[in-house]
Formats: sequence, C-alpha cells, structure tokens
Amino acid sequence: MRTAIGMLATCLGVFIAFLLQQGLPAVHVLHGARIVLVPMIFCYAAMVLPFPAMLGLAFFTGFVSDLFYLHIMEGRVEIAIGCSIVFFVITGSISNGFRPSYLKGHWWPVIPVAILTTSAYLLMQFVMISVRREGFVFEMAVLWRVLAPGLLVGLFVPLVHAVVQPFASLIPQSPWRQPEY
Amino acid sequence: MKKINIALLLAVLALAVYFSAQSASDTQSLQAKFLSFLAPFLRTGTAVQEQLGSMGKGLKTLDEVEADNRRLNEVNRELLTTNNLLREIEAENNRLRLALEYRARSVFRLLPARVIARDASTWWNTIKINRGFEDGIETDQPVLTEVGLIGKTTTVAKNECLVVLITDETCRVAAKIEGSKEQGIVSGMRIQETGTNGTLQMNFLSKNATIEPGQKVYTAGISNGVFPSGILIGTVREFRTRPLDGQALVDPAVDISQTSDVFVVVGAK
Repeated sequence: MRTAIGMLATCLGVFIAFLLQQGLPAVHVLHGARIVLVPMIFCYAAMVLPFPAMLGLAFFTGFVSDLFYLHIMEGRVEIAIGCSIVFFVITGSISNGFRPSYLKGHWWPVIPVAILTTSAYLLMQFVMISVRREGFVFEMAVLWRVLAPGLLVGLFVPLVHAVVQPFASLIPQSPWRQPEY
Repeated sequence: MKKINIALLLAVLALAVYFSAQSASDTQSLQAKFLSFLAPFLRTGTAVQEQLGSMGKGLKTLDEVEADNRRLNEVNRELLTTNNLLREIEAENNRLRLALEYRARSVFRLLPARVIARDASTWWNTIKINRGFEDGIETDQPVLTEVGLIGKTTTVAKNECLVVLITDETCRVAAKIEGSKEQGIVSGMRIQETGTNGTLQMNFLSKNATIEPGQKVYTAGISNGVFPSGILIGTVREFRTRPLDGQALVDPAVDISQTSDVFVVVGAK
C-alpha cells in the first residue's frame, strides 16, 4: 500500500515536473539549453521505489514524455510512442541498482545517474530525429543542449533531496524516507 | 531477479512495442486527447506567467520612475503607474485594431486564436493555440499574423491545436523571392540560434541567381499545397552558393516569441 501511495505521489511529481518544464524558458547563455527536470525526478524515484513500482513509473514517464514531445509531420512520427518507455526502463533499472545503497543512507549516487540520464535522454531524441531527417548536424550548440541540462540537474538533485526528506519523514514507513545513521 | 519482476519487465516492454507499432493517425489522435486533457493546466500556467510577467514590468517601471523622480510623493507615483498601465492598454488596443483591420481586408477566411503555450522542447519549434476542431480547425492549415507567416497546424484537439513553426526544420514552405523568378523551399534550422528571432533557410535556388539582402520572401502557393500564395515569410539576410544550388538565409517576418495573437486560415473568402 505504501509503495502504491509512493508511486502515485511520484507520478504526480513527474507530471508537475513536465508542466514546470513547459514554463521554463531556454537559457540563452548556454546556447539555448533547457532545464529538463523529469529525468532527474524519475532517477531519484527509481532509486527509492522497489523494482515493480519503478517499472510502472518508467512506463508512465515514458508514455507522457512521448505524448508531450510527439512530432508528426507529413504523416511521419519522429519519435514513436514507446521509445522513451524503453529508455526509462533501462535508466530506471540502473538507478534502481543503487537502491540498497540508498537504504543504507547514501543518496548521492543519484547525482551522476541523473546527470547521465538527462543528457542521454536529450542525446537519444537528437539521434532519433537526425536518423528520421536523414542527416546529422554537428554544431557546438548541440553539445551544449545535450550536456548543459545534465550538469544543471546535477545542481538541483541536492535541493530535491532536501525538499523531499522532510515530507517523507511525515509519512510513516514512506519508501522515500531514508534511515538515519 | 525474481520471476515476477521479469514478467513485469516483459509486460512493460510489450506495451512499449505495441504503442510504437501504432500508425501515425492513431498516434496523432492519442496526442489530441492528451492535449485536451493538458489544456486546462497549460492555460492556467500561461495565465500565471502573464500575471508574473506584467508584475515584473510594473515593478521595473516603478523603479525607473523612482530613480528619475525622487521628489514625487505617493500620489504622483500612483498617477504615473496608472498612466503606464493605460499606455499598455492603448498599445494592446492598437495592436488588436491592426489585427482586426488585417482580418477585414484579408482575402482569406481567418479565425483568430491565442497562443496558450510555447515550445518547451530542445529540438522542436511549436506553439499551442486555443482553437481546435470544434472551431473548424483541421490539420495542415496555415497560421499567420498581420505581419506574416508563422507555421501550420498539426495535431488538432477539441479546443486546442499544435502549430509547427516555420522556424522548425520539418516545416517546409514553397517560396518565391520578390523581384525575381527564383523559387525554393523555405524551412527552419535544426539548431536555431539563441537570443534571435530564428533563421530560415531557402534552398534549391539557382546558383547564379541575383539575390540581394533585404529582398522579401513570400509563399509561392503551389497547387494542392498547404500555404496560399503571397503570404510574407521574411527578408533575405544572405545569399550563398553551394556545389549544386544556391541558398538564402532568411530572417522571419514575425517575432514569434513576442506574438500572442494569431490567425488560422480556414479557407478563402
């Protein structure tokens, strides 16, 4: 039951992150890179939740992500619904591998995982549209737009952890709650 | 790994494969339903953004007024603020009047719409507007302002629709250059420069064409095409020759980042 509540709360969190992302403008000094919050929230949750719940969350996050960024032109879908589900299942499984460490009180592994997941997510999108459009474009701006969001979320992870923990401690046996050592 | 975990993993992957195997039209109708579900959140978000934006503008104006007029008392400051607000309303009034005049003199049947969300993705250039199939909008209808072309509709939901902008690489428009017989295809760049209005590329021009910066680019209006002839797209910034053809870089006529009111061409008058 507590896992189900945790998962529902996380789905809500992911959805709110999507809406927040929608309102955040591009950062011009970083060559138009955007702040991408969803993979970070997902990685954090994937480290906290048990494997079956993580799979459910990966499905939800991937499905909503594909619907948000679905681009259909002249009857061609650029990134088919389902691609992000597979992506989040893979990265969620990696993140979930750090769950024993989280349960021992170490939350920091989520920082490199969130950085890598965020950048890999944007890179996956770029590679897929490049394949669809039959041509790769190599510009410095591409590197910035792939790497900068990852590094930015690395700064946000401690903030998210600091915000989540006080709330988690209010709920008895919350999956988000870290043991104190 | 537990058997139940493997079964769940396979189930999720099977669902992913099922969705990826859907046809483009099924996927589009799924996105339209999602867009309808999302619309109230987006509208609320836009309203909050507008409120915050106008609050910021007000504070900035007050700061400037304070710096310039230290001796002014509270009543004077209040009067200045009111005056500024009235000026904003007057500017908006003028803008809307221009739009209405354009609508009246246009040869197209135009449906006014408002931008409810701007693109939030790294790789695509789209906006969402507050008109859908209930208002008579269909896929592939041109979207423009009194200044020029903006893009075309793609996914159409009940009361909202997605517009792909001309600054997107996938939005291709047959175009002609003012004062010449040159025709080509205008599309956006995959990576748009930041802090600008965007850049368009006009490809398939002849190598020895005489094209000068400042020449205007209009839609060519090919038969059975999406865009009617004669809509302003932008102005030539630069012309360069390539091994096989000539390419013009075009500055879009419309500053999309500042545009909040648009028209959808729903037919001819």
